[in-house]
Amino acid sequence: MTVEQTRYVIIGASAACMSAATAIRESDSCGDITVLSMEQEMPYFRPMIPFLISGKKSEPEMSLIGNGPFKEPKIQIRTGTRVTSVDTDNKTVTVGNSDSISYDRLLIASGSNPFIPAEIKKMSAEGVYSLRTLGDAKKIAARSSKTRRAIMLGGGLLNLKTAFALLERGLKVSLVVYSGQVLSQLMEPDDAKLIHKALDRAGLEIITGCDIKKILTDKDGVKGVVLSNEKKVEGEMLLIGKGVSPNVGFLDKSNVSIDRGIVTDEYTAANIKDVYAAGDVALTIDSLTGKKNISGLWTNAVEMGRCAGFNMAGKQTRYCGVAGILNATQVADISFVSMGIVHTKGAGYETHIAETQKAFRKLVFSSDGKRLVGAVFIGDIERAGLYRYLILEKRNIEKIKKQIINHQLHYGHFLQ
Amino acid sequence: MTTPKEIFVKIDKCMGCHSCELACALEHSKSKLLYNAISEHPEPKKRIYVEWMSQDSRMPVLCRHCEDAPCMHACISGAISRTEEGVVLTDKDKCIGCWTCVMVCPYGVIGRHMEERKAYRCDRCPDRDVPACVSACPTHALIYETVENFSSNTRKAASKELAAGHGG
Ligand SMILES: Cc1cc2nc3c(=O)[nH]c(=O)nc-3n(C[C@H](O)[C@H](O)[C@H](O)COP(=O)(O)OP(=O)(O)OC[C@H]3O[C@@H](n4cnc5c(N)ncnc54)[C@H](O)[C@@H]3O)c2cc1C
Repeated sequence: MTVEQTRYVIIGASAACMSAATAIRESDSCGDITVLSMEQEMPYFRPMIPFLISGKKSEPEMSLIGNGPFKEPKIQIRTGTRVTSVDTDNKTVTVGNSDSISYDRLLIASGSNPFIPAEIKKMSAEGVYSLRTLGDAKKIAARSSKTRRAIMLGGGLLNLKTAFALLERGLKVSLVVYSGQVLSQLMEPDDAKLIHKALDRAGLEIITGCDIKKILTDKDGVKGVVLSNEKKVEGEMLLIGKGVSPNVGFLDKSNVSIDRGIVTDEYTAANIKDVYAAGDVALTIDSLTGKKNISGLWTNAVEMGRCAGFNMAGKQTRYCGVAGILNATQVADISFVSMGIVHTKGAGYETHIAETQKAFRKLVFSSDGKRLVGAVFIGDIERAGLYRYLILEKRNIEKIKKQIINHQLHYGHFLQ
Repeated sequence: MTTPKEIFVKIDKCMGCHSCELACALEHSKSKLLYNAISEHPEPKKRIYVEWMSQDSRMPVLCRHCEDAPCMHACISGAISRTEEGVVLTDKDKCIGCWTCVMVCPYGVIGRHMEERKAYRCDRCPDRDVPACVSACPTHALIYETVENFSSNTRKAASKELAAGHGG
């Protein structure tokens, strides 16, 4: 009797895919794993692509296989292969126009794509980009050499990272933000003061309360924009950072249930047998707010992908969801983390704020004061992991609340 | 392959003398000489932290080189990996200083080297047979052993104490 090899097919070749493939291999040494990716490149660390723009890292230095937890899990990766549809009745995936691939278990890990506002789409021109892929980074890097000023729309983390890559390259950068502050997803206006100062010091020009009304062009593409307040800004490149939306277009004709992203259960399974989803394409439940959420985090894509891989290989593994906000980064000369529930205006949370010239700490407790539910640290992010642990584990913190508020918390307190 | 050794902490034995911290910083200095290390810039960084647990109890806290290390899975640049000896290492060249590992470490033992913009933590002293903190501990609160030997020694000690208690 021959042993039937399970045929695993994964759509996407990034964080969720590669950690799923590694997990499948850990539990099933002989199954056949095929990965389909529309990008031309072999898997890479997506969050590193701004370094290709700044010139600090080269493409080979971003490669994923063989680095960190990602081993070479004996898989077949087909790059430059776009999936056009999925037929869950016949258990096949179509690539290109006709080529069809059969699966026993399917993981959809197609991630997300930049969201481009309709008005901007209509005006699109040479030199208008969004940074999501290595391909985008290459285009932006190439255009940078003939750009004096880059104009950026949106004040999220992605745009700030890109802005710094461009500043490091010696470009001037103007960031246009509709709300009054940068990073509005990750903190409240008053919390962001130190970050705004750091951005000023770094030479980033921020224009708040504005939108882009018109894109000005000549034969070489973008040459500037007209803002909603009628002011003109000259620049040879326009970068859009208005968030992302899940890549689910190829599922239009399938029976896979979609609510913005692919709806998944606590075992990362979609509504149809043998179909799983993980990463930026999956709709999950925020473990803190209980609200539906598309994570948009590398860390979550890895964790969820790993769960999906185990489940696909028959090792039941529960996925516990993720907090919508779990970000750490360095912006200019300042470090910050934002974790859990951080928008507190008007809600009944107990908040404690401590501010100095160089550091900001905001701690958010549940209304009964018994649990830590969120934290923003700017400047001093020492031991942030302890706070993250308390937030995600929903621990009763009454006994150590003083230490939490006074910034004295250390691991020993967990043992008491 | 022989089972690799790990650093264990015996909480009841720590007197809080901070010798381990000093030895650690010195081992990770450029000169490895106390007199010179003090004036080095950037100043040598320790990777072990003696913390107060209560009025009369202290303990050293350091990287546990976790089995399913959260820092390794979370790292967005692939800089953290596990060696065959079970040491979870940060590759300095690959680290981009995004501090994701600092945010996910449940022990709070990953530091930020701001001058270099790199994360750092216990590397179990690759150039030494016995890690510097263990050698420096005067009360044997830090033990460098394989898991098997450590737990069997702990069991033996416990049964000895039990026997002594019953006999006395
Ligand atoms: C510049 C930048 C910086 C970031 N920084 C951070 C950070 O600091 N921290 C953090 O947590 N997150 C960060 N992120 C977010 C993080 O990169 C994403 O959350 C993560 O990459 C999601 O992984 P994924 O596996 O779900 O999908 P993705 O990485 O989006 O990959 C999707 C894959 O699917 C493939 N694909 C899509 N559609 C098809 C199709 N029809 N056919 C075939 N293949 C298809 C693509 O080729 C790709 O391989 C950053 C993102 C960017 C762009």
